[in-house]
Amino acid sequence: MTNPTSGHTVESFNEEMRREHRTVLQMGALVRHQIRNAAKTLRDEDPEAARKVIADDLEVNALDIQVAAHVEAILARRTPVASDLREVLTVAKIATDLERCGDEAGKLAKLTIHFFDSPAIAPNYQLLQEVSKVAGFVDLMLQESLDAFDARNIDSACEVIRTAESLDGEFRSALRRLMTFVLEDARSIGQFVDVVLAIRALERIGGHAKNIAGYVVYLVTGRDVRHEDLAAIERDLKITDSIS
Amino acid sequence: MIEISPPSKKSEKNFTTRLESVDEFDRVETVGEMFVDRPKVSCLGVSVHYGDKQALFNINLDLGRNEVLALIGPSGCGKTTFLRCINRMNDTIEGCRVDGEIKIEGAEINHSDADVVSLRSKVGMVFQKPNPFPKSIFDNIAYGPRIHGLSGPKNELDDIVETALKRAGLWEEVSDRLHTPATGLSGGQQQRLCIARAIAVNPEVILMDEPCSALDPIATARIEELIDDLREKFTIAIVTHSMHQAARVSQRTAYFHMGHLVEVGVTDQMFTNPRQRLTEDYITGRFG
Repeated sequence: MTNPTSGHTVESFNEEMRREHRTVLQMGALVRHQIRNAAKTLRDEDPEAARKVIADDLEVNALDIQVAAHVEAILARRTPVASDLREVLTVAKIATDLERCGDEAGKLAKLTIHFFDSPAIAPNYQLLQEVSKVAGFVDLMLQESLDAFDARNIDSACEVIRTAESLDGEFRSALRRLMTFVLEDARSIGQFVDVVLAIRALERIGGHAKNIAGYVVYLVTGRDVRHEDLAAIERDLKITDSIS
Repeated sequence: MIEISPPSKKSEKNFTTRLESVDEFDRVETVGEMFVDRPKVSCLGVSVHYGDKQALFNINLDLGRNEVLALIGPSGCGKTTFLRCINRMNDTIEGCRVDGEIKIEGAEINHSDADVVSLRSKVGMVFQKPNPFPKSIFDNIAYGPRIHGLSGPKNELDDIVETALKRAGLWEEVSDRLHTPATGLSGGQQQRLCIARAIAVNPEVILMDEPCSALDPIATARIEELIDDLREKFTIAIVTHSMHQAARVSQRTAYFHMGHLVEVGVTDQMFTNPRQRLTEDYITGRFG
């Protein structure tokens, strides 16, 4: 199919589409940096670095506002249709999801401040290890979903959706492991709740990565698969393939 | 709501070959919903030659009842030629030959016994530029009913004129000056007058060839609103170069390219996810 960011008779339209595509990828790179840094502040017990993560979220917000303004202008001036319209809508949706990922990274950073720059008792190392593990997992998902968007690769997008379905299992097994700490020492219940909230924030990032993968399927095929499971998506895609 | 025929009927002839380049036209087959249940107009294997030059290649396309069908495509693709086949306007062009089957309500319009005057009363046409007769507003509308013998006493003719102007959304603006020259109306009013003139003879089909290309956005919006209203009573085929007009006014869209019908589809689908790359490239402004 046509590359949605090029080939228009009007070259300035190509440039506008490429610009938004690049901005979203730039925003994605920034958000991934935020997630990794937020998880690192917990590992390093560094509330100063956590404050920087929170401050840097403003940059993500600014990019979100910028994409929204540009998308509005493109819709008003170019009135795109077909793959162009899907590209513009996809860019807008991805930017929104990335902005929320940035917010979740901020929650993680706030936890570092809560644990290590306040009278609250810091959780033990094993509890925080669970956070690092899930952070690495969702960071990879986000990377793969953004790569799938950049390459318009449905197979990669489906892989992210598949991973997201296993993220739920990962979240539950992390909960089970954390529960053992609570059972051993009931005084850690407060820390347990804080860590669960942190893992929950990371799980939401995984959900946003899944959304982005769904947008890629929509971008390439025109099918909105956000509320379908992977088996249904792959069945639909096979039918489409066999028709074309 | 347009009823698209299920694949088991005539649309078994629908094709699914993907056309990736103009070079593949030798084996082009139309993709999409060319056929509808109980069509008002049915075209099968329509080809048109202007002398040695072939302008249309084996077009299969139905016009549904109470449907607005938009015909889109680059200049010279054959969409106006196709439109003119439906009321035999091509008969007036020397050296033009139309092959294939064109039926209105099942009756072949190119049959040797077919009455062209009667056909054109059934199939009205509105052109790119408003073309009111150099007569009064009243006489512009009354002209058709008079020559087709549809009008009886004067009162009846008054009623026909009033009804046509009301249907065209022009009555409120001209009711107090019916006997003034039609050429004194604005461009948008003149075009609505031409639509009123076309519907005054109770046609079944209205053909519109870029009816808004000479109008400002407000006049265009009024014509589009009118097209939507007229759909309740008539079948309408509209040729337009405005993708957005096609998207706004039609229920199905047909994309022509170099005399071939490349794709036909429900308009929403055509403008969000067309099946053919050529259609996609055209509507997104990648060539034209």
